[in-house]
Amino acid sequence: MYINGVMTVGEEVDKSRRYFLVTIGSAIVALGVGYAIGRVTAPAKVTEKIVTKIVTTTTTRTETVPATGTTPVSPTPTPTGPAGLSGVAARAVQGVKDLINRGVVKPGTTMRILHVAGSRANLEKAIELWSKYVPEIKVELITLGQEPDVYNKAMQEAVTKTGTFDAVTIFSTWLGDLVEAGLAKPLDEYYSKYDPGYTGPCAPITPLRDYVTMYKGHRYSLVLDSDVFTLSYRKDLLNNPDYAKEFESQYGMKLKVPDTWEELIKMAEFFTNLKLKAPSGGRVWGAYFYAEPRFAAYITWLNIFIEAGGIPFDLKTMDPKVDSPEGRYAFDVMLRLKPYMPPEAITASWADLYDKFIKGETVFTAAWPSLTKEAHRPTSLVKDKAGSALMPGVEVEVGGTKKLVKAAPNPVNWVVIVSNYSKHPELTYLFFQFATAPDIGLEMVLQGVILDLFRRCWFTDPKYRAKAAQGYGEEFLDVYMKSIEISYPDLLIRGGPEYLAKLTTEVNAVMAGTKDPEAALSDVAAEWDSITKKYGVDSQLEAWKSLAQLFPEDVKSVWKAKGYM
Amino acid sequence: MTDRPAPRSIKILANLPLNALLYAVLIIPFLLMIYLAFLKWNPAGGYEWWRAPLIGLANFHKALHDSRFLSSLGRTIAYVAIVVTIEFLLGLLLAYLLLEKFPGKKLAIAIIIYPLMLPPVVVATIFYLMFQDYGPVNNIFLRSIIGEKALGIHWFLRPDTAFISLIIADIWQWTPFIFLIMYSALSAVPKRLIEAAQVLGASNFYIFWRIRLPLIKPLIVIAIVLRALEAFKVFDYVYIMTGGGPGTSTETVSVYIYRVAIEYHDISYASAMSLIVLLLIIIVTRIFIWYSFERGGR
Repeated sequence: MYINGVMTVGEEVDKSRRYFLVTIGSAIVALGVGYAIGRVTAPAKVTEKIVTKIVTTTTTRTETVPATGTTPVSPTPTPTGPAGLSGVAARAVQGVKDLINRGVVKPGTTMRILHVAGSRANLEKAIELWSKYVPEIKVELITLGQEPDVYNKAMQEAVTKTGTFDAVTIFSTWLGDLVEAGLAKPLDEYYSKYDPGYTGPCAPITPLRDYVTMYKGHRYSLVLDSDVFTLSYRKDLLNNPDYAKEFESQYGMKLKVPDTWEELIKMAEFFTNLKLKAPSGGRVWGAYFYAEPRFAAYITWLNIFIEAGGIPFDLKTMDPKVDSPEGRYAFDVMLRLKPYMPPEAITASWADLYDKFIKGETVFTAAWPSLTKEAHRPTSLVKDKAGSALMPGVEVEVGGTKKLVKAAPNPVNWVVIVSNYSKHPELTYLFFQFATAPDIGLEMVLQGVILDLFRRCWFTDPKYRAKAAQGYGEEFLDVYMKSIEISYPDLLIRGGPEYLAKLTTEVNAVMAGTKDPEAALSDVAAEWDSITKKYGVDSQLEAWKSLAQLFPEDVKSVWKAKGYM
Repeated sequence: MTDRPAPRSIKILANLPLNALLYAVLIIPFLLMIYLAFLKWNPAGGYEWWRAPLIGLANFHKALHDSRFLSSLGRTIAYVAIVVTIEFLLGLLLAYLLLEKFPGKKLAIAIIIYPLMLPPVVVATIFYLMFQDYGPVNNIFLRSIIGEKALGIHWFLRPDTAFISLIIADIWQWTPFIFLIMYSALSAVPKRLIEAAQVLGASNFYIFWRIRLPLIKPLIVIAIVLRALEAFKVFDYVYIMTGGGPGTSTETVSVYIYRVAIEYHDISYASAMSLIVLLLIIIVTRIFIWYSFERGGR
């Protein structure tokens, strides 16, 4: 440093050293303070302990139960509860009373549930009913705006382990990630202790019941929802005798609800070429199936691929099997459909498909059950004009004979997991057993938009069906129950969202014409392989083998016939 | 009271809260990010980050061979070059035109800077709607020029038009930023210099080129650097308007890193890519400033 032209070296060095010491000192103090804060705010330590439990079926089994210090494993409570409730809900209420009586849970305890804004009305209904029977236990909702926010918060909790919330409602697609990250608590013990009604005539419909709750053979979630796709179509156009006559003369086949994708392509072509005007004033397109870049494009491709007998991964090696004749066929169908779909199918967000259908601008489309709800609203331009059917299938040659395979995608599907870092995991589980019971669950599902029917008795038992029909219409209920029976899961293994995101990107690129199908399939296979290797082939294979067993029987029979299974 | 400086311990204690905050929210996370870049850690892996295996430079090696990362980086650089150039020229032109007094000038300035006040996510949503097939861009603007053919333009369906739509949204929102800086810089040029040049018969172009522009050069450099740094981080427009599509043809480096970190949970790999990008930005910015102030200033 120069002062009046004289360099003051000693002071410069002294100042530098002082600054250095201050900085280092501050860093050490900051680290110390940070460490102390971390220690003070650390969540309860999770310990693994071995518990031998007598199950009511008189079999003795040894389970590994991760338990927090505040929740000892309790004996099976007597399954009696308040009158007027279903057995499932009554057992949940009785279970809570028992926990309170034994001093495991104190009256006034509050549970916190992390969930997405769209399910708030549903959960509020469940809480309202809960407070009638268990007023001493409060439930608080932590509401997040968007689905990815929930995933991010859940994953952050897996890392930080704060115990901020007791349960989180998630897409079943995330289950593998959240189990492996250590956030999802195994629920086998609670299932056997309290029986959530997963067997019998009112159980959630199989195979959905199992594939959205199980991971590597264990239960980690409770079903909150079903998200199975159905085919929606303009009934008024399909039933029009003039169009029927014209179609038959052009294509030599009857105009009807299409059984296969091949039939659907012809009908989509026919209606697109008619250049009809929609009730909204816009143009009528023959079809609209997801091909957009953000997340949904995989749904259409995977549906055709699965129906054609494709299997995502080899069951012996975990090698991706998407670069296959079934994969090429799926692209072939989608590309042949493309001219009859609005261009927005490739660019707009997923909600655009809903918008176009309820404006009457598409003849055939496929989406979640909420599309049917939207189509039935008074503001819909296709109210009373919309029909529902099973997804179109693919004719597969098995052992020399042709077989029509129909399968329905079940993308996302909300479930609830109990946090491993919850101070009240058993209590939290019981709230959700109550909320998803046959009687309470139906009330909850019908309250909002994003949750849908999943228990069989809601479709078959007249006392429940009448209520359900008010929300969906009679025709849809029959179609939807059958659709759940033929539904298949997302890739519910670790990295599921990542596998599907890569697939969506490539499907969108092919549909936009920026990539050819061969290159896209090759890239998907390469990227899937690298994801598998990232998580470990053995671990992924174990998860995939378990999941593959939970696919619908028709699909598995083709896999067996092709030697894939 | 004496003029004796406070003891060193008091100074340290006085600085402590700020230092602690600085370390907690900036330095430590940054150091952690550097450390994570050398690990193989994924939150879905079920193990803590401090137990993750050290893999050296593997993440960096992977990034430099990742075609999606490299193409998103190249695309981002092109994006920055295009938007910053156009925004600078437009902002400078607007600032120059608004130097003179005229009725309604205040209103004009308020209108010009209005887009700057909107959150980028709102701008992205507005432009997403505007560029729909039947949106105002096709249905009103282009239709009045090229007729019914305008309705057949699908902005987000082709990589080039999708990219152009992103650029237009960026220019609309951020030109006012350059305008503000240029306007204040040009307004601060001493009037006596301009008047002296005018007396000597210099043309307006000569005055602008030889007097105004050299005098505001430091602010031009700052405006370009700030804007380029911001533009490099572009996320909202891409995420909302195109989702990075069709395919990955409009995916920028921020969107890709976000996907790797948040959607694919590959925190270590995302950290490595972020460091590469950071290094690149530091080098480019340093060269630009050196060229503008040191070499170019000679």
